[in-house]
Amino acid sequence: MATSCEAIQELLAEVFGETERLSDEERRHLELCPQCCEVAAAEGALGLIFAKVLPPADPAMEDRVRAAMRTLRRRRRALALLPVAASLFVALLGAVMLGGLPGGSLLALLPVWSSQGWVSLAASVGDWNTVLTTSVGAATALFSPGVLVGAVLVSLLGLGVVAVTTRRWRQVSPWRHDG
Amino acid sequence: MPWVAVRSKRSVDPPDSRTAGGRGCPGETLYHDDAVSFEKASDEQLVRLALDGDEDAFTALVRRYQRRLTAFLSQLVGDVELARELSQEAFIRAWSALERFNPKYRFSTWLFRIGHNLGIDHLRRRKLKTVALYRTDREGDEVELVVEDLTKDPLGHFENSELASSLREAIDELRPEYRELVMLRHFGCLSYQEIAEFKEMPLGTVKNKLFRAHTVLRKALATFL
Repeated sequence: MATSCEAIQELLAEVFGETERLSDEERRHLELCPQCCEVAAAEGALGLIFAKVLPPADPAMEDRVRAAMRTLRRRRRALALLPVAASLFVALLGAVMLGGLPGGSLLALLPVWSSQGWVSLAASVGDWNTVLTTSVGAATALFSPGVLVGAVLVSLLGLGVVAVTTRRWRQVSPWRHDG
Repeated sequence: MPWVAVRSKRSVDPPDSRTAGGRGCPGETLYHDDAVSFEKASDEQLVRLALDGDEDAFTALVRRYQRRLTAFLSQLVGDVELARELSQEAFIRAWSALERFNPKYRFSTWLFRIGHNLGIDHLRRRKLKTVALYRTDREGDEVELVVEDLTKDPLGHFENSELASSLREAIDELRPEYRELVMLRHFGCLSYQEIAEFKEMPLGTVKNKLFRAHTVLRKALATFL
């Protein structure tokens, strides 16, 4: 309980000079101390000045924040799909390699293809046309057209999801500008 | 009223009966009738509802803090329109990072810290974009460039412009350590306890510094008191 002049005045600054928020003992001190009484009046007036400093509310801010919240929510949903897309792609690739999907058992062909393919690619690395032709030839030899189209689509979907989700790191609110 | 069902996992500190609210910090105006139930909910309850995906709960927090945060930031950056934009950005970042919010701290201090960091970042960037105000003309004389003042006065809404001007001067002349506390207390309407948490400063120090700041302000504004 504050009873000294300094403690009372510190308290008055804290309560904007509103003496009704003081304890009985603190109020009794005020009655007997003209200096503290003067401070109480001045703090009250100061409080009234500070009561006006808040700028008017901007009702549109709520709508803009809400719109940004929905955008963020959509991006988060997209982000949640990323592991699903990646899992699907890995599962599809595994199934193809194990011969679970049309195209034969690619597992057996893979070492042969990879050793020959990489030797060929290393030898012709300066010739991109050869690299491309070899890659496409190897892919078409190993995978059936349906599987290839499926793999390409899943990869594109995965890339799309990555592109969409990484946008969340960009500035969220388009109305903000740097002055 | 959905917020009634929300239960706190930690004990909530009782509001600072002396320093919370008061004459200097009038209540926020509501825009929608359905916001009445949210008005009574604590910040913690609203945060929990927002974490459950309730956008209205977070909007209630926006409504509760937008004027205070804008007022605080307008003092920091000296432009009320820019302060509004920074406030919006602070709310969006708060929403975005709400899952990382540590309920050990108050939402108000966390939000103000986000806003404060945005304001400081902006000031740093603005510093880099300054241009010289003097340029040499063809005769080799220095010519002063007239630069349009694009800032919007944070106290421009004051009816008494003389008082606004005196208040601005009085605040500007405060020592920086006092000025920031005055901004947090009177523009941000934070309680002493919240300020102590925000500044990571003992409560007694906050009380003492604000008392000293008030003493300076009372002298500077004596003609209006």
